[in-house]
Amino acid sequence: MKRLILSFLFAAAAFSVQAQTAEEIVSKHIEAIGGADNWRKVNSVKMEGILQANGADVSVTVTVLHGKGMRQDISVMGMNGYEFVTPTEGWSFMPFQGQQQPEPKTAEDLAESQDKLDAQGSLIDYAKKGHTLEYLGKEDVEGTECFKIKIIKKGGSPETIFIDPKSFYVLQSKSTVKANGQEVEVVTSYSNYEKLTEGIVVSKSMTLPFGELNLTKVEINGTVDEAIFKK
Amino acid sequence: MKSIFIAAALFTAVSAFSQTAVNSSTFGMMEARWLGPGTMSGRITAIEGVARDGKTIYVGTAGGGIWKTTNAGASFKPVFDRYCQSIGALAIDPKNPKIIFAGTGESNMRNSVSIGDGIYKSTDAGENWTKLGLDKSEHIAKIVIHPQQTDIIYVAVPGALWSSSKDRGLYKSVNGGKTFEQILFISDEAGCADVSVDPEHPDTVYASTWEFRRKPYSFNSGGNGSGMWKSTDGGKTWRELKNGLPAKPFGRIAFTLAPSAPQHMVAIVEAAETGLYISADGGENWKKQSATMNVVSRPFYFSTIVIDPKDPKRVYRPAFSFAYSNDGGYSFAEASNEGGWVHSDHHALWINPNNTNQMYLGTDGGVYYSLDRGATWNFVQGLPVGQFYHAAVDDRKPYNIYGGLQDNGSWTGPSAAPGGVSNANWKSLYGGDGFWVQPDPADINTVYAEYQGGNISRINLISKKAVNIKPQQAPGEEKLRWNWNTPIVLGAANKKNLYMASQYLYKSIDQGRNWNRISPDLTTNDKKKQEQENSGGLSADVTSAENHCTIFTLAESPLDEKLIWVGTDDGNLQYTTDGGKTWTNVAAHYAKAGIPAQTWVSSIEASRFDRNVVYATFDNHMYGDHKTYLATSNDMGKTWKQLTSGEFTGFAHKIRQDLVNKDLLFLGTEMGLFASTDGGQQWFRMKNKIPEYVLARDIQIHPRTHDLVIATHGRGILIVDDISPIRNLKKETAEKDVVLFPMAPVTLTMGQFGDGGFPGTGGWVSGNPPAVPPIKYYLKDRVNSGEVKVDIFDATGKLVQSIPGAKRKGVNMVSWNLSMKPPKVASGGTKIDFSGFLAPMVLPGDYTIKLKVADSVYTTKVKLVHDPSDKNFTLEDRKKQYKAATDLYQLHERLAAVVDTINDRQKMLKENMAKVTDSSLKKSMQSYHDELEKLRTECLASKQKSLFVDEKKLREEITEVYSGVTGQEAAPSNLQLQRITTLQAEVKKKEEEQKQVLKKYDVWVKDRLRQEGVTGPKEKKGF
Repeated sequence: MKRLILSFLFAAAAFSVQAQTAEEIVSKHIEAIGGADNWRKVNSVKMEGILQANGADVSVTVTVLHGKGMRQDISVMGMNGYEFVTPTEGWSFMPFQGQQQPEPKTAEDLAESQDKLDAQGSLIDYAKKGHTLEYLGKEDVEGTECFKIKIIKKGGSPETIFIDPKSFYVLQSKSTVKANGQEVEVVTSYSNYEKLTEGIVVSKSMTLPFGELNLTKVEINGTVDEAIFKK
Repeated sequence: MKSIFIAAALFTAVSAFSQTAVNSSTFGMMEARWLGPGTMSGRITAIEGVARDGKTIYVGTAGGGIWKTTNAGASFKPVFDRYCQSIGALAIDPKNPKIIFAGTGESNMRNSVSIGDGIYKSTDAGENWTKLGLDKSEHIAKIVIHPQQTDIIYVAVPGALWSSSKDRGLYKSVNGGKTFEQILFISDEAGCADVSVDPEHPDTVYASTWEFRRKPYSFNSGGNGSGMWKSTDGGKTWRELKNGLPAKPFGRIAFTLAPSAPQHMVAIVEAAETGLYISADGGENWKKQSATMNVVSRPFYFSTIVIDPKDPKRVYRPAFSFAYSNDGGYSFAEASNEGGWVHSDHHALWINPNNTNQMYLGTDGGVYYSLDRGATWNFVQGLPVGQFYHAAVDDRKPYNIYGGLQDNGSWTGPSAAPGGVSNANWKSLYGGDGFWVQPDPADINTVYAEYQGGNISRINLISKKAVNIKPQQAPGEEKLRWNWNTPIVLGAANKKNLYMASQYLYKSIDQGRNWNRISPDLTTNDKKKQEQENSGGLSADVTSAENHCTIFTLAESPLDEKLIWVGTDDGNLQYTTDGGKTWTNVAAHYAKAGIPAQTWVSSIEASRFDRNVVYATFDNHMYGDHKTYLATSNDMGKTWKQLTSGEFTGFAHKIRQDLVNKDLLFLGTEMGLFASTDGGQQWFRMKNKIPEYVLARDIQIHPRTHDLVIATHGRGILIVDDISPIRNLKKETAEKDVVLFPMAPVTLTMGQFGDGGFPGTGGWVSGNPPAVPPIKYYLKDRVNSGEVKVDIFDATGKLVQSIPGAKRKGVNMVSWNLSMKPPKVASGGTKIDFSGFLAPMVLPGDYTIKLKVADSVYTTKVKLVHDPSDKNFTLEDRKKQYKAATDLYQLHERLAAVVDTINDRQKMLKENMAKVTDSSLKKSMQSYHDELEKLRTECLASKQKSLFVDEKKLREEITEVYSGVTGQEAAPSNLQLQRITTLQAEVKKKEEEQKQVLKKYDVWVKDRLRQEGVTGPKEKKGF
């Protein structure tokens, strides 16, 4: 009898392990953030926020026009910098880092940056987009035992995401960014998830290695002047 | 039947409860700092590099996991922190360098060697690992991958050191590690020590087998199971190679073949006369060569021999020291110390096959690299993998840590230092293998340290001069038996008491100048376990490492200096209540609790809360038993209860009870650090930047800072700063969603240290503890929705600072630098003005902290106090400094307002210029703009042509004084104050000038614009 119960328990355990495929976890995640249908309607995203770094406020605006362009504007005490990427070119001007004039992205950087043009995030229709997923088991992220999933992207470096098994939100992502022949690991933690009127749920607070970015405004499908993706 | 269900239900209930109860995640942001250091590093067991790039290198360590560099050694990061930390072998797939195999359990079979739990594989360059199997292998010596069919892998498993085992020999996988087959098995006593595959004929495989065994009191290397083997069918059949080799029995054989001419082989064969043998025909015939002592020494410990990937004549023998041969092994030369001393005892060598001048060497003291084929070496300073045995702390500010390490002597380093604790902050105290180090609490310049076998000295910390104070054999006494790791212990009740022990316990009350023996022989004195002179097997190896029937641990009760506990390596646990006159042995009592007799008593904790309560750990791994034994008695050792947990892994080294909360316990084992908050009923594994299977040898809790200091055998010193939130966390508190912890008064300070100035130049640097006690709060769960924010208000209710709050599960910490929000500085210009990051420190007083978590607000108060003991910065000085700093703060904000108005008008003019047709209006607008621009460029620096042109305008002038005054813990000087007056006048002047310009143009231009049909920007209020 005891053996029977034990074997039942083992079978149950084996079943639950098997049940956790990357596809299922990601589909639950997509449900949790508003469902694929709502996300598919997203054509543009404009996010404005404040990054607090060393006590000073840095204002950040990120605009993504799906598949066409991404632009990021950064303003620190009246000094303005930007970065933009399109399928064919990319420029950055970061005077805070001593840059005197805008500089074009290298071919490698440009290729790495193409994922940034995806306004819906790489998980929506990931297979169609040419990405694949790998489930890597559970791992502790800052005290929460998370599902660990690697997104092997069509272009660019793979990204590892950690999904909270309770909320199915992404708590953290890890990616390795290649720049100037060096590899830098970027860890971002996400919180302050909020449901927008469009029915999608977004993180309004991102903890980056140098500070926390809190979004003050998120606009979906507003008009985006494509002129902003030009030097 | 019913009972089973009840049991199952209970089990579920317990595990559900333990999830909400305190565990590692409760520690939240209380994460370990890795002090390292990298200066003495630790034993390296395997090095493999990616041939393709020559700069991606993996380093396997004896007790610190695997470290990866992608820049040829400039920096490293650990990639194996969730698994067994003892690494025996590494291998990289030659066709796909993202595939890496790691065999756990090093095979340098010294007394202190750790134990592995199988072989692992990564397919993404070390980011993620999967265990493949060979769980019972315990030690893995080498992994070799077939050069073309990379799914074929050979694994040499010497196997268990302390017991017989069937799980040893040579294993082969033909499917990339999914399954393994044992393809060469000799006996339960003899495993496989080395394997090589002929790169030109990969079905030709060579292997050496090795018979060896350790007991707690002896070591044997050698037996008929040792041999040299060859297979020409990929391991299906084997033939023993004998021609020209010495008469058996053999011990350990290290061998290699020349990758560029695989028929050429060299071998070091441990035998009655250990020798170096060379073969030119694939091992069929061997010829002995004369060799130095270094080349053939200590085969059980030095098992590496390598031939250059391109040059078959260039042979390397990393051993006690580094030797190389240019003639195929006929003669050897030794590396030079021209580039600095190279640590002795070598275990790993990787040569870049594409640039054979470049090589990496693993020693007992870290990694070295050479760019000249091993003639000279550079030390890699960034690998914090030191193997501490014990640690102690003193009471200085900041406090220092003291400890001894495997083959790296005894050291001391600070818990904090300007710019972080770097390699340079650590000071060497004493040589040999280091173990216990005790700073004398009554004499800050004195420390006691030792090397193996009880060789204790009293050391002056200033001069580093040592006086040998080892107790000597007295007439009529037996020869003294000192453990390899002899205890040196200070009294917990009376700090003047200095103890050390052989089979007898000694006590000194005058810093070791005179000793009193205060016990009879406290061991079993079993003569059969005392034949160490014959230790080693074929090669004599008598180093005190096998000394037995000795005292290993002892503790004076914190409540009574006459109550002393002593534990021996042969199972005795004895105490005295009269300072040593009489002794009681409780060995039979603990055995009744299920702990094997004759077990090594590894640590004793005499409770500071109740003299009858004692905790002890027992280590039985030397009899092949890896279980975690921890027990407690509350009746002075008469009866014992084992404390157990499903979480426990690894044999136990150390039990520590908290200094304040008697229910808070920490247990260090060979495979993890564990904690309990309920007196040992339930335990959890400590994570939070503590490697999950860390070799935790010793644990201290600092009485002033409440820091948890962990001495690891492979990761140096780890510190979890200030564990008081866990100490004070009640179970009912842990059940609440949010708890904002009360704050003790905080002394206003700009930090413990100044800036230092010069940036770090490499090597290992650990961060410092927070200079100001952080605001701490507990979250039962991570906050995923809603904002978390900390607002700080002064006594008048004015908001002083607002800081984004952390949202982790467990204890969160938010650092407030005790300052206001930085001023708004004049915007624009060519440089970021760093006044925008600087704010005056607030004044002493009562402040309110409001923690906002989603829609709820939690409030606590904090009192900020001035440090009255600071003679250089009195309260009066502070007030003057605050006044000056806030005056300058206001100047920045006033100037910012002037510039904002200018920017605003300039923007309006620029936007409308093109729309205007009237030329006179256009001209006026241009003049208006130019006059504003002239004013603007007087307000802030607007030109920058190079890094070193410091244009200085009014904003920069204010900043010079502001940054000085704001950043100083001193009253402002007379000239600083005078300067403020001048600057106030200048800002006022700019305000006036700006008003004048506006008066001259603004209304007129706007009116004209309206007439032109162009609408100007909206009027700002108040202007």
